[in-house]
This record gives sequence, structure tokens and C-alpha cells, in this order.
Amino acid sequence: MRDDHEDILLAPIERSGRGFYWAVAGLCVLILWGAIAYSVQFTQGLGVTGLHQPVGWGFYVTNFVFFIGISHAGTLISAILRLSKAEWRRPITRMAEVITCMVIFIGAGQILIDLGRPDRMMNVLRHGRYQSPLLWDATSISAYLTASLTYLYLPMIPDIAILRDRLGKRKLLYSVLALGWTGTEHQKKVLNRAIAIMAVLVIPIAISVHSVVSFVFSMTLQPAWHSTIFGPYFVVGAIFSGIAGLIVTMIIFRKAYGLQYYLKPIHFRYLGQLLLIMALLWFYFTFAEYLTGYYGAEPEEMKVFWAKFTGPFWPFFWSMVLCNFVIPLLCLTSLKQHTVGKVLFASLSIIIGMWLERFIIVVPTLSFPRLPFPQGIYAPTWVEWGETAGSLGLFALFYLLFTKFFPIISIWEIREGRESSLKEVEERIVSYLPSEAEEKV
Amino acid sequence: MAHEPPVSERLVRTLQWVWLGGAFVLVGGIIVWIVHLIVASWRLDDVVQASVGISLVAIPIFIVFMGVVFYVFWGVAVHGRKRED
Repeated sequence: MRDDHEDILLAPIERSGRGFYWAVAGLCVLILWGAIAYSVQFTQGLGVTGLHQPVGWGFYVTNFVFFIGISHAGTLISAILRLSKAEWRRPITRMAEVITCMVIFIGAGQILIDLGRPDRMMNVLRHGRYQSPLLWDATSISAYLTASLTYLYLPMIPDIAILRDRLGKRKLLYSVLALGWTGTEHQKKVLNRAIAIMAVLVIPIAISVHSVVSFVFSMTLQPAWHSTIFGPYFVVGAIFSGIAGLIVTMIIFRKAYGLQYYLKPIHFRYLGQLLLIMALLWFYFTFAEYLTGYYGAEPEEMKVFWAKFTGPFWPFFWSMVLCNFVIPLLCLTSLKQHTVGKVLFASLSIIIGMWLERFIIVVPTLSFPRLPFPQGIYAPTWVEWGETAGSLGLFALFYLLFTKFFPIISIWEIREGRESSLKEVEERIVSYLPSEAEEKV
Repeated sequence: MAHEPPVSERLVRTLQWVWLGGAFVLVGGIIVWIVHLIVASWRLDDVVQASVGISLVAIPIFIVFMGVVFYVFWGVAVHGRKRED
């Protein structure tokens, strides 16, 4: 059953408007800034950044944790919605999965930038030791990237076949990637089974990735890092920022490509409700984390604690609370009117707030180290700002280019939803309810 | 819109095998790297248990990925096509 509105999904692939070229130009400016910043850092060393002793981790590690967190938008959310048979997922999953794949590359790249000498990466490959949580990170991120790429590609096969058959260009590319898909029952059975296997596999892998990212901090004895709840705290934060990132992406492309027919206010309402739950959960974890530290009153821990609450880092800490809890609570408690606007505002606030949260975790602890180093405050230079802007630009450009090659909303899943979901959902609901025969028994 | 000439079926099939080979090289490369780390820790007598323990989890996961990709490739591109023929 072909829908006339499907042309809207294929339009960005068939032609590019002036807006596309302007967007690419704008993003290229950001990337150029990042490239210049990196070339300066590469030739002159990390001394051109604000990194110094004792604060050896700053923007780059903050960005790393932040981007890996955003990557939870996709595969994890998509897998959970798919496995729970949430029918409203259909126009959302592809956008989410693409975010994951693009952002993992950018996140992992931050470590290369932070190394200062990227050739040293070869030492990790040649002489890595599995006692180091950094190597656990490398392994789990590799697994997540591989899983996410597979999980993105498999549900794209039927759509690529549609492109192969309907578009007059890139025939070779689409023919190769479509794997000879014709939509036979056997092919559908194979693909659905593989997608189900990947959906199950991807959830523990995604959770392990952010747990392992947290272990980089919590396995040390540094004040405010050595915490048993850091694993779940990081996972909650990752899903939180991931959903916010997904919503912002959805709204941008809804507007740019005219996808209002597919991405309706109901989708944003459901995602907004999820976001509200995650905001409450995030607040609970933050409260538990800081209360435990405060009650223990360990002197070194308290230095970091007060640095965040009233010391040099207070603007970042309280902005984080405002952005991650107060604003989302105000925006998301009632979504009956202006749903899209409220959800967008809350999501933008959360993205800023979660970046600040990562910053607040990484930097204050290093500024007040347990060992007798002199204390120090971190101030990033234009180099770090440039590389952060460049990374964001690169992510946005990759994403934009993806939408010029493949549909950003899954065409076949929408078709499948129309053709069989109504009946399937009805049958499922009937199966939940007590039947007349059971009542008699 | 100008339509491209039809593509050679043979070329498509060859490139599909190359595509599958690329996926195997990527995943296989990661497995080889993990095995290399075990060997290095063994040679240096450097807490081999840690490397083996983590590898026992990581390597099967990558093997499952390869299995899923191969299953889809075989089921869709090879077996699916034969049925169609």
C-alpha cells in the first residue's frame, strides 16, 4: 500500500533546496574553526589549551562523556520501543538510530583530540592492558558502535530497496545495499528475526557502555568520583540527554523537511512524558549522590562539594539544576497546549544542563585533588571552544548528509503499521483482557 | 530527472560480497585485537585473568554480530534471491 505522503520522505533525497546549501555552509564554518583549532593544538601541543596540572581533563573529556550519553538516544530508545511494541515508535526509530551512529564517532574522536598526540593511540592498540577502565571503554564502545551500525542498517534494507526501485540515481549504491530485497515472506521473516535479536542485544550493550564510561571516574579514589551509584547515574543521565537530543533533531527535521504529517504532537507528548520521568529520576540520583557525600563529610570530598555549591563552580552547578530539573518540570507537567514548543524548550534546556553536569563531574574534582598538588581552576581557551564547535558541526553535517542519501523516517515500517498493526494491536488488547470462557471458569 | 543506465547484476553481487567481507574484517579485526591483548598480558605475566575475563564476554558478542550479519546476508541476498529465481 503506497501512501502519497511518502513523496515527502523521498523529496530530500531527490533534490536539495537552497536551505540545504546554506546549512552545509554554516556547518562548514564551524568545522573550519574546529580544524584550525586542532591544527594549532597539533603543532604547538596541549599547552595552547586551558588544560594544566592538576586539571588535565577539561572540555574534551566533558564532550566525550556528553556525546557518548547523547548516543543513548538512538539504539537504546529505539530497541526499547521496538521490543515493547510501542506503535508510536514507527516514525521515530530511524532518526534515533542515526544519532547514535554519528555521535559515537564524534564522542570517541574527543579522546583522540585529548591525547594531544593522536599517534599515541597506537600504544593502546599495541600495549593496552585490560586492568585499565580506559580499555574497557574502548572495547565497549567498539561493541556499541558495531551493534548500532548493524541495528541501523538492518531496518534500512527494505527502504533502500524502495530507493533502488523508485529513484533514478545512485542505482549501484542502493542495489548493493538493498541485498536483492524484494519483500518476499522469507526475506521478511529473516529480517524481522535479525532485528529482534539485535534489539535484545543492544540494550545491555548500551547500558554497559555508559556504565563503563562512569567507571573511568569511579574506579579512582578521587573525591566525588569514587561512588557506587556512578554507573546507573551515568546511564540515567545518558538516556535523559539522549531523549532530549532526539526531540531537538526531530523538531528541526520536522520543520526543515515538512514532516508534520508523520511527526505529530502526540509523538512529542509521549517523548515529553518520558523526558519528565527521566528528569525526576535524574534529580533523585543527583540528590542521593550529593546527600551521601555531604553526610559522610570526608574533608577532601567536602572541598569539592562546597566548590560546586558555593565555590567557583556554583554558577555551573545551579545552572545545571535549573536546566535539568526546574525548567523541564515547569515545561513538561502539562502538555495539552503548545506541546511541541514546550518539549523543544525543555529539551534544549536539558542538553545544556547535561553538558554542564558532565563538566561539573569532570573538572571540580581535578581542581581539588586528594594528593598534595596545588589547586587550580580550569578556563578553556579558544582552541577548546573551537574544537567543541567543530565537533557539533561535524555531527550535524554527517546527519544532514545522511538525510540526503536515505529516508529519515522508515517508509516500510509506516506501511507495515498501516497494513497490519491495527489488527495486531486489537488482537493484543483482546489477549490482555479476561475472556468470557475464563470468566465462566 | 535523468535516469542512470541499469547496473550490472554481477557487479552488484560482487560488491555485496565485498560489503560482507568489509563487515567481517571490521569485526574480525576487533576480535584479533582482543586476542592480541590476551597474548601480550600472558607474555608479560600481567594479570592474565583480567584480559581473559573481559574477552570471555566481549568476543562472543562480536561473534554474534558477525552471525547476525551473515544470517541476514544469506537469508536475504543469497537464499532469498534463489527462492525468487
